[in-house]
Formats: sequence, C-alpha cells, structure tokens
Amino acid sequence: MNGLPFFDYLSAYRDQIILRTEQHFQFSAYVIVGAVVIGLLIAVLTYQSGIRGNFAISTAAIAFTLPAVALFGFLVSVFGQSLFGAVYPPVVLYALLPVLRNGIVGLQSADPAVIDAARGMGVGPWRMLWQIRFPIAWPLILAGIRVSAQLAVGIFAIGAFVVDVGLGTYGFEALDNLGSVNTGNEAIVCIVFVALVALVFDAFFVIVRYFTTPRGSRA
Amino acid sequence: MSLDTASSIDSAKGAAGAQMSRRSTREGRAVLTWTDLVVPVIVVLVGVVVFVYVHQQSLDTIESNILNTETLTKYTVQHVYISLSIAVLVMLIAVPLGVLVTRRRTRWLAPFVLAAGNVGQSAPSLGLLALVGIYAIGFWAVVWILTAYSALSVLRNTIVGLEGIDPGVLDACRGMGMSPLAILLRVELPLAVPVIGAGARTALVLAVGTVPLGYALNAGGLGLPLFSAIKTNRPVATLTIAVMIALLALTMDWLAGLLQRTSTPRGIR
Repeated sequence: MNGLPFFDYLSAYRDQIILRTEQHFQFSAYVIVGAVVIGLLIAVLTYQSGIRGNFAISTAAIAFTLPAVALFGFLVSVFGQSLFGAVYPPVVLYALLPVLRNGIVGLQSADPAVIDAARGMGVGPWRMLWQIRFPIAWPLILAGIRVSAQLAVGIFAIGAFVVDVGLGTYGFEALDNLGSVNTGNEAIVCIVFVALVALVFDAFFVIVRYFTTPRGSRA
Repeated sequence: MSLDTASSIDSAKGAAGAQMSRRSTREGRAVLTWTDLVVPVIVVLVGVVVFVYVHQQSLDTIESNILNTETLTKYTVQHVYISLSIAVLVMLIAVPLGVLVTRRRTRWLAPFVLAAGNVGQSAPSLGLLALVGIYAIGFWAVVWILTAYSALSVLRNTIVGLEGIDPGVLDACRGMGMSPLAILLRVELPLAVPVIGAGARTALVLAVGTVPLGYALNAGGLGLPLFSAIKTNRPVATLTIAVMIALLALTMDWLAGLLQRTSTPRGIR
C-alpha cells in the first residue's frame, strides 16, 4: 500500500472523478424519471382491480428477485455493450418495484367514505383520480420514489462492468487490480461518491416531500 | 426437480389439512396454493430452454472450458454454500440485535441503529468488496463483509416487526403473568415471523446476487465464470452463467418463502 494518500489521489484524478460523478448522477436521474413514469402508469392502469394490481406487484417482485449481475450479463450477451440495451433496462426494472407497489397500494388506500363523499359531490372519474386519490397516495408514492432512487444509484454502479460509465468503474478497477498501489483509493472513491450521489437524491426527495405534501396529510 | 416439488407440496398440504378443514378454505389461509407452482415451472422451463440452446451451439475452447459441467456444478454448490452461510450468520446477528434494541431499557438505541443501517446501506457492495479484498481474501472475507452489509435489512425488519405488535397483546400477556422471556419467545417472536422472514429472504436474495461481485476475492461461486465469460467476450457463456445465477436466486427465494410460511404461526397466516 504505497499508493498516493487519499486526498492526493483525489486531486490528481479530480477531473475524472467529477466527470464520473456527474455521469452517475445524470444517468441515475434518467432512470428514476423513467421508473416513476412507467411505475405510476402501470399503477394507474391496475389499481382498480385487486387481481390486476396483485399480478403487477408479484410480477415485479419476481423480476426484482433476479440478481442485477445476472440481468446485466444476460442483456449484454444479447445486445452487446450498449448503454440503452444492457444498462438502462435492468436499472429501470429494479427501480420500478418500489414505485409500482407504493403507487398501487397508495391509490387503493383512500378511505371509501372520502371516495363516497367525492362521488356525492359530483366528482368524475378523472378528477377522482387526480384530485382525490393521487394526493392521498402521494406521501406513500414519494416514499417509494426515494427507495427506488437509492436502488437506481446502487445498481447503476454494478452496471459499470457492462459499459464503462459512472462510478462503478472504480470499484471494478479496484477488484481487478487487488493489491496494486491505488486499489484502496479507487475502492474508497467508489464507496464515498456513490453514497454521496445517493444522499443527494435522498435530500432532494426530503425537500420535495416537505413542499408537496398536502397540508392535511402532513404527519 | 418437479418430483421434489410435487412431494413437498403433498406433505405440506397434509400438515395443513386439519387446519384447512376446520376453517374451511378461506383465501390466504392455505400454506400452499397453485400460484406457488409458477416459479418452479418458470425455473425448470427456462433451465431446459437454455440447456438445449447451449447444446446446439458449437463452442470454442474458451467457452467449453467455462461451461464445463463439472466446474459449473462445483461453482454452483459453492455459490449456494456461501449464500446460505451469509443468510444464517445474518439471522444469528440481526435478530438478537433487533430484540435488544426493542427492549424497554435499550429502546433509545433503535433510532441510532436504524440511522447507521441506512447509511451503511447506501454504500455500494461493490466498493466494500474491493476495500475488503485489499486486506483479506477467501471465503470468510466475502462472507463477513456481505453479512455485515445485508444484516441491516434483517435488523430493520426485526425492529419493525417487533414494534408493530399490538401493545394490547403484550398487555394481555403481562396480565396473564407471563415473564418477559416467555413473552418474547412465545408471543413477540412468533408474531414477528412474517416480517423477520421477509427480511431474511431479502438478505438471501441479496447474497445470491452480490456473491458474484466477489469474483476477485477467490471465494468461489458463479461470479468467476461469469466475469471470465464477459472479459473474454463470449456471449453464449455469459448468457448461460447469468441465467444460472438468476435461476438460483429464484429457487432459493422460493424455498425460503415456503420455509417462512410454514414457520408462521397458524393464526396469523
């Protein structure tokens, strides 16, 4: 272990680390947006029927059981080393489950008396979903999005063995060169900066929660 | 595989038979339903398809070296062994710790443990494995770091499960003169089995999925052939190993699910 001291390593590779952190942040953001859009769409389409809702949740849960490494490996053998073929789809898939589950459970969780009252006031199906059910479900959905952001950031790191993007590359470089001088620095960079990206997302969603929770349902 | 499945279902149905006839078959009460067959059927089908597909390909030397049946069997057994060791150690560590921080005197510890757990969880397992690999390699290095990593999810579930028990139930137990130990062993833990079990399943699946990343730590498992297939750019071998890891995870999750449900007390199934 005669490599550079950690902070010297940081300043020596500053540009590269910043670039990779930005990549990681940016691509994770795409994944989260994708997962939220797809997850909520499926939730809205399935929440009304218990059977369809359960089917969607249990299918996603089975997909969730598949290890990320296996899914990346499978897709890279089919599509080759492409970002859109082999990296995005698995990460979106994993980020999907928390949003989907919380979305369905949240949309179903509105008190029947509230729904009845709204119907009595002449609220149509579209407004019922948008103005009644969705605001009631929102805290739960947001909690799901937070979990899925954490998942996306973590799994994106593993995707680095398929396509060389993001901070996971440092982890794999360290694993491939165990015992070489900068292995420790690379491993620590991987841990610290991935955790940092995850923390930034988490902080962002805490702020979003504060400003978007309807006053009545704020805990 | 299919024979095993059928016989295990029969025996489990026999065990649950008395209960089912008494309560009539209300939905959600039965230990096993036909939907439990979905996963094994998928696993067997996909396994057969991949097996046939690989046998139709003409493999070069590298591919046939990687896909050698004997070595693959060895790696699979190692993989299962490592994952199970992790899962068992996780339960041995996380459940007592979870019990400890939910006792009245030590309850103030719970938020700190949960916060530490959340922070630890956001560190990537990949980097942790690399960091550990600098100082120690081999079976125990992988097992310990992944145990520490996945203990967090079981710990959280144990705390949530124990705290979610209706205080009225505990009051009733105390009123009946049960000792704190009896309450813990005979009421609290059995009631928390579904939640703790869910955490243990997560830990097991996480272990199966993360062990491959320890390919460089010389602990064995299917990570080694997977990464050599990817690095030598052999799609057929990559696909085979990836599917094997996936099927292994599905199977172990399924078995753990059965175990979890059969160990859940009858009244709260």
